[in-house]
Amino acid sequence: MSSDAGSIPAASIFCICNKVIIMKRRILWAFGAILFLTALAAPAFPQAQSLLKLSTRDLAGSSRVILSSSEPLAFSFRREPSVLIVAIEAQRPLRVRQDVFKSGGLKSVSWTGDRNSYEFSIEVREKDFAYDYKVRKNPFELVIEIKPVAVEPEPAPAVLTAAIETKAAVRTPAPAAAIPEVSRSSSPREDRKFRTIVIDPGHGGIETGAKGKFGALEKDITLAMSLKLKEIIEKNMAFRVILTRDRDMEVALENRSALANNNKADLFISIHANGSRRKNSRGSETYFLSLNATDEESRRLAYLENANGDLEGRIEKENEDDVTLILWDLAQAAYLKQSSQLADRIQAGLNDLLGTRNRGVKQAPFKVLTGAACPAVLVEAAFISNPEEEKELQSEEFQNNVARAIYQSLVEYFRLGS
Amino acid sequence: MTRSKLVIPAVLTVLLVVLVYLFFRGGRDGFRLEKVPSAGKADPSPVAEGEKKTITLFFLSEDDDRLHPEERQVVSGTSPTEEVETTVREFLKGSSDGLLSPFPPETGLRQAFVTGDGTAYVDLSKAVQDDFTYGSSSEIGAVYSLVNTLAFNFKAVKKVSILIDGGERETLGGHIDLSRPLVPRFSLIAR
Repeated sequence: MSSDAGSIPAASIFCICNKVIIMKRRILWAFGAILFLTALAAPAFPQAQSLLKLSTRDLAGSSRVILSSSEPLAFSFRREPSVLIVAIEAQRPLRVRQDVFKSGGLKSVSWTGDRNSYEFSIEVREKDFAYDYKVRKNPFELVIEIKPVAVEPEPAPAVLTAAIETKAAVRTPAPAAAIPEVSRSSSPREDRKFRTIVIDPGHGGIETGAKGKFGALEKDITLAMSLKLKEIIEKNMAFRVILTRDRDMEVALENRSALANNNKADLFISIHANGSRRKNSRGSETYFLSLNATDEESRRLAYLENANGDLEGRIEKENEDDVTLILWDLAQAAYLKQSSQLADRIQAGLNDLLGTRNRGVKQAPFKVLTGAACPAVLVEAAFISNPEEEKELQSEEFQNNVARAIYQSLVEYFRLGS
Repeated sequence: MTRSKLVIPAVLTVLLVVLVYLFFRGGRDGFRLEKVPSAGKADPSPVAEGEKKTITLFFLSEDDDRLHPEERQVVSGTSPTEEVETTVREFLKGSSDGLLSPFPPETGLRQAFVTGDGTAYVDLSKAVQDDFTYGSSSEIGAVYSLVNTLAFNFKAVKKVSILIDGGERETLGGHIDLSRPLVPRFSLIAR
């Protein structure tokens, strides 16, 4: 059979005297030739196209755009208001692949061009920004760091009317005008006037969380408590409150902290009801993140223990890349100290108001806390797996008390902390 | 004749399409473990001539919120991977001493192995999540009873990565991060 393929087409034409067939054959041969040429070119193809990976991250006080490729690239920068343009030239054709966009400090990153040259437009939220870059070789990596130029944030108006109104007053909805809408288009300076607190009602949708003996679901209780907390904060503090969900719906864990980062939240509070295999477990506890790091990683992360958000200043130049690499997925690492202070405050507040057993402040590697670039805690109000506490958790009174306890803790936290 | 000439380009086309497809999708797959039947180790019941060793398993208790040890005799394995697998199977059987099992009883082990960097990978069956809800406490209890059990018994195990049904999962029930290997927390063990 294979010898047939090599025979001369002219010879076989004599055997078949049908023009249609000749036409068909010609088309076939042309097709075969194209395939043959393509096959010849194929071995060169995989090397010819290299991947240009684009990723974005937020660090404390700055954002990073990383362009990495197996090939060394030539690059140049150009800036316009709110936009940094990076021109890339490569020896070989490139294919751009973008990771999930993970930056709150940047508005967007887009690109034009193809094959050997591309232009990336990095849109920054602030009009004024500073940038710096670093290049690493083998593999090539261009790390661009963008910092908004410090527009002195006006001190948050300390309208901390500490006195809590009676429950009846708490239920009256706050005047809508007092609460600025979540708006991306308004100027950043306006946003800055208000501190932002993100409240995260745990679980939701098909993800029910723990279940009580009498059928109470963690997701419903966390939502009820979170709505009450939002209301009481908005009524008494000049803060903007954003909920990660305001109804029964599923929200991915990383989107919850991303919402906080995108809104430049000052605090992230995740609200949960606890569940245990043991029926008698009872009480309230407050968690902040534990890093779940091996000894070696811990040593590196020790740099951040006292960083207080001033991450870049704490890291020695030669270690910067290693340390920030670890941080990419662990924005919370830079805020552990503040998170622990916030957890202390909230636990004290729960102890004062709830009358539940004090289980103290604890640390665990909660997924929802890892990505938050601000002080972040997770509150376990009480045990839904304990029949007595399940009833409490469902009562309006207990839910209001949890909200009041957290609210008072926030008043204290901001009064003493800043 | 004509038919055979038609076949060759057709075959070439199909081949080329397949090659191009493979080239472009290469490396895009997430990490996924296929179930490999564990060679000759399906039945961990004691073999007469096998050497015995004592392992310590950690379970939960009705008394407090800590992890409680329970010792058990098993047949020594020939490799860390084999012994880790035996230990997880024993652990999944639950306590024989009235302690609470942190995982649903239907939970099975698909595969376990230890890598050179000291990470034990434990691939649990889907039952670990099915019809089972976790609160923070029960999830912390479940995750760390397993992680501590392996790190306590095997010097070679420095951290444990829990997989479910052959793949990575974010969490067991919405709480503890499983996307990176967990280091043991011996402070949770009852004194």
